[in-house]
Amino acid sequence: MLTVIISGLAIGMLYAATALVYNVMYSTSKVLSVTTGHIAMLGGVFGAWFVTTLHLPWGLGLLGGIAVGAAFGWFTEVLAIRRVLNRGDDHLWLLSTLALATMVQQGVALWWGTEPKPFPRLFAQDFNSGVLDQKFWLPISIAVLMALGLELFYRRTMYGKLFMAMSEDAFAARARGVSTDRIRLMSYVLSGALGGLAGFAAGQLTFAYFALGLTLTLNGFIALAVGGLGSNVGALIGGAALGLLNAFASYWFGGEYQQTIAVGLLMVVLLVKPEGLFGSQKVRPV
Amino acid sequence: MTNFSFLLGRNQLALALGAIMVASLPWWAGNQYQLHLAALICVYWILISGLNLVIGYTGQLSIGHVGLLSIGAYAFAILAGKMGWHPALALVVAGALGGICGLALGLPSLRLPGFYFAMTTMAFALIVNELVLAQGNLTGGGIGLPGPIFPAPLDSPKGFYYLAAGMALLVTWLSWNLVRRIWGLGLMAIRDNPVAAQAVGVPLFRVKLMVFVFSGITAGVAGAMFASLQSYITPDTFVFELSLFFFVCIVIGGRGSIIGPFLGTVILTAMPELVAPLAKLGHFFYGLLLLVVVLVVPEGLGRVFELLLERLRPRPEQHQAIEPDLPRLARAIKEQG
Repeated sequence: MLTVIISGLAIGMLYAATALVYNVMYSTSKVLSVTTGHIAMLGGVFGAWFVTTLHLPWGLGLLGGIAVGAAFGWFTEVLAIRRVLNRGDDHLWLLSTLALATMVQQGVALWWGTEPKPFPRLFAQDFNSGVLDQKFWLPISIAVLMALGLELFYRRTMYGKLFMAMSEDAFAARARGVSTDRIRLMSYVLSGALGGLAGFAAGQLTFAYFALGLTLTLNGFIALAVGGLGSNVGALIGGAALGLLNAFASYWFGGEYQQTIAVGLLMVVLLVKPEGLFGSQKVRPV
Repeated sequence: MTNFSFLLGRNQLALALGAIMVASLPWWAGNQYQLHLAALICVYWILISGLNLVIGYTGQLSIGHVGLLSIGAYAFAILAGKMGWHPALALVVAGALGGICGLALGLPSLRLPGFYFAMTTMAFALIVNELVLAQGNLTGGGIGLPGPIFPAPLDSPKGFYYLAAGMALLVTWLSWNLVRRIWGLGLMAIRDNPVAAQAVGVPLFRVKLMVFVFSGITAGVAGAMFASLQSYITPDTFVFELSLFFFVCIVIGGRGSIIGPFLGTVILTAMPELVAPLAKLGHFFYGLLLLVVVLVVPEGLGRVFELLLERLRPRPEQHQAIEPDLPRLARAIKEQG
């Protein structure tokens, strides 16, 4: 039973980390990027490539994974977000990020192969350590650290306050002299780095697998919608709830209905409390 | 909507020419494989012309129609294959089932804003695949099911092609009827400005739901034809990327027209089959194409042709020669003098 809880919590925290990445991008651009899960996938795949194939020490592999994620975040903003937001059609970003996500996923499939490959172990640890295994506590602690770090960043630093200002009202922030384009680019690089970190930390749980991106995009979004768009605490709670629900559902009913149950949770929350558990109820602009 | 209104005089001619080409295709198609390809295009078009109303006209970005296609295909394969129903009856039931599932999917999800809707439909496609795998004794699980063929004279490739082309024409006619009347204007109003549409009395949710259910029916019918055409279906046939393919066909062709997505379907279906290196790149190519179109011509390739034609067509020059009215001038001078 404890194993079920811990493994559910671990995968749930990966979803939570993906939801945090969504939040960082959403705060400055009001865009929910389809590429979010693919950032974490890149972190995992490139981490495995750096450590297993290139035989780098895992610290360098981690830095490499983060760098790849950050570069991809930068690339996303420059290629798929900037022009589209300038054009002002509110649906186009969905198309452009979807296109980019497909390209990345298929590119990785062509280069890395379509089979999940094992992720190297980072610390020397016995394989029989059960619930204390590093593949469980790594994603959990990383997600919690990410949430705490983001909270500190938003409250204590000047750039964090600029992010907050942009998320409140980008137009007013621009009028007060904030370079909104640069802040948006920064937020994408930051979210890319965080996504790469999350994907690297959870690599042993998920394996280095090209199709992970789409699953994470969907489940991270469900965690985000359940917890409330824009709320970091909500992302953690939503991720944990989703992970635990999935784990218990596969414990009781078998693993075939995971996606159905996850979407069921999303539907129930959206019907009962459309803004999510911790979301702010905004007035709908007309 | 009348994007090609300059063809108005030649419209009838183009239509007749197209009909002759479609009808005579089995005679000039080089081999059986090209006929199969043409039938596949027709089957895809049955789904896409329904989906075009949802994406192109109403602006609801559904990326999960492969789930409805899969439902239609499995319903047809189970009913006509396992239970031995008549294929025509199974085809009708598959369409109805697609419509019902479209209703079940549309009822909660069409209330959601853009990204939420897209994610819900995507999740629907994943759920359908999951259920197909889970219900192994009904659907054959990962092994799949044989797709039954239609009785004679529709069992030959030529016969099946005519069936598919006929269905495609029927669906095109239905959707064309819808978009050229006030319904189509209502749909486009919802796409361009939902608040304004509501203000002038378009029942937002009901119209969206109706169009979505229609697209569900066409997807179910297309699924049944697809199962029969491919002769064997597995869950791997209905990957999420197929959904993306439908989506790209419409976006590339241009939103808010019928001929554009049709050309998109023909080109995108035929191109990877005829140009071998593209087949290896597979879905990467679709992603790239979508990105280029969205960044460069978000209105779709149809718009490019329109612009080119506008540039090429000589503009009617305005001749307004000014003739001096000499007698009047003479009179005026005389009066002054």
